[in-house]
Amino acid sequence: MELVNAASVLAAGLAIGLGAIGPGIGQGTTAGKALEGIARQPENSGDIKTTMILGMAIMESLAIYALVIALILLYANPYKG
Amino acid sequence: MSEGHGGGHGPELVPLLKTALPFLNAIPDTVIYTWFVMAFIIGVAMAASKKMEMVPRGWQNIMEMAVDGLSKLVEGTLGPKSKKVIPLVITFFIFILCSNYSGIIPTFKPPTGDLNTPVALALVVFFTIHIVGMSERGIFGYWKHFLEPFPFMLPLNIIEEAAKPVSLSLRLFGNVMGEHVVVAVLFMLVPYFVPVPMQMFGLFTGTIQAFVFTILTVAYLSNVMGEHH
Repeated sequence: MELVNAASVLAAGLAIGLGAIGPGIGQGTTAGKALEGIARQPENSGDIKTTMILGMAIMESLAIYALVIALILLYANPYKG
Repeated sequence: MSEGHGGGHGPELVPLLKTALPFLNAIPDTVIYTWFVMAFIIGVAMAASKKMEMVPRGWQNIMEMAVDGLSKLVEGTLGPKSKKVIPLVITFFIFILCSNYSGIIPTFKPPTGDLNTPVALALVVFFTIHIVGMSERGIFGYWKHFLEPFPFMLPLNIIEEAAKPVSLSLRLFGNVMGEHVVVAVLFMLVPYFVPVPMQMFGLFTGTIQAFVFTILTVAYLSNVMGEHH
């Protein structure tokens, strides 16, 4: 049983840590590109902002899946007898 | 999942309420927190619409500003056909926003931090998309778009539809719940002042998530309401 507990904690850390890498890179790129767009055409900033938030939300859901997995492993683990 | 987290978060309102009023025991905690949020929204709505004036003041002013801004946003995406979905979309925004914000009241747990609430909201969105789509394009015309661009894309299209409510609900739940857990952990470590910036950040993400839920609903609706392509 201790092995399952230790493995769950380790897996939760790995899940959220590794799962945050991709969305982090993606959201950084998105924000940078959106800033470039706004700097080039400030009159379009409303549209750009809305689309950016939409795209970021879809990326963020990947990180959130990792978070949900981590929370399940920590608080609702089915294997923790 | 309801026990285990929030250990250092202090007393919670509904368990205290339940020891005082035992007949509430049959009702889940989340429902009672939702009643508080509903009472707040209904109270504000009644205060805003009791004595309506041409030149708005007070609550009426605030509500008119919110409803106006949101309807403009929805109309910008959906065009003139947006009239029938605007009430639903704005109600979702206001309810999710108030639920997310209710998390910063001490002893309160945000209703959206329980997976059941976001799933219920996402299922309403899911069925609304299909019903609006069928009423816009006719039943046959709507289901035909699952076979486009090629008939063998059918499984992919079905998975895409099924992923919508899953991602909508998990995103909202994960954000609110994650923020709540982080604040609870910080409270356990340092009970004073340190959790405050995290709670401020929680207000920010709460707004963003309410906005994102609304915008995604509008985007999905614009997919089915737009021209056939």
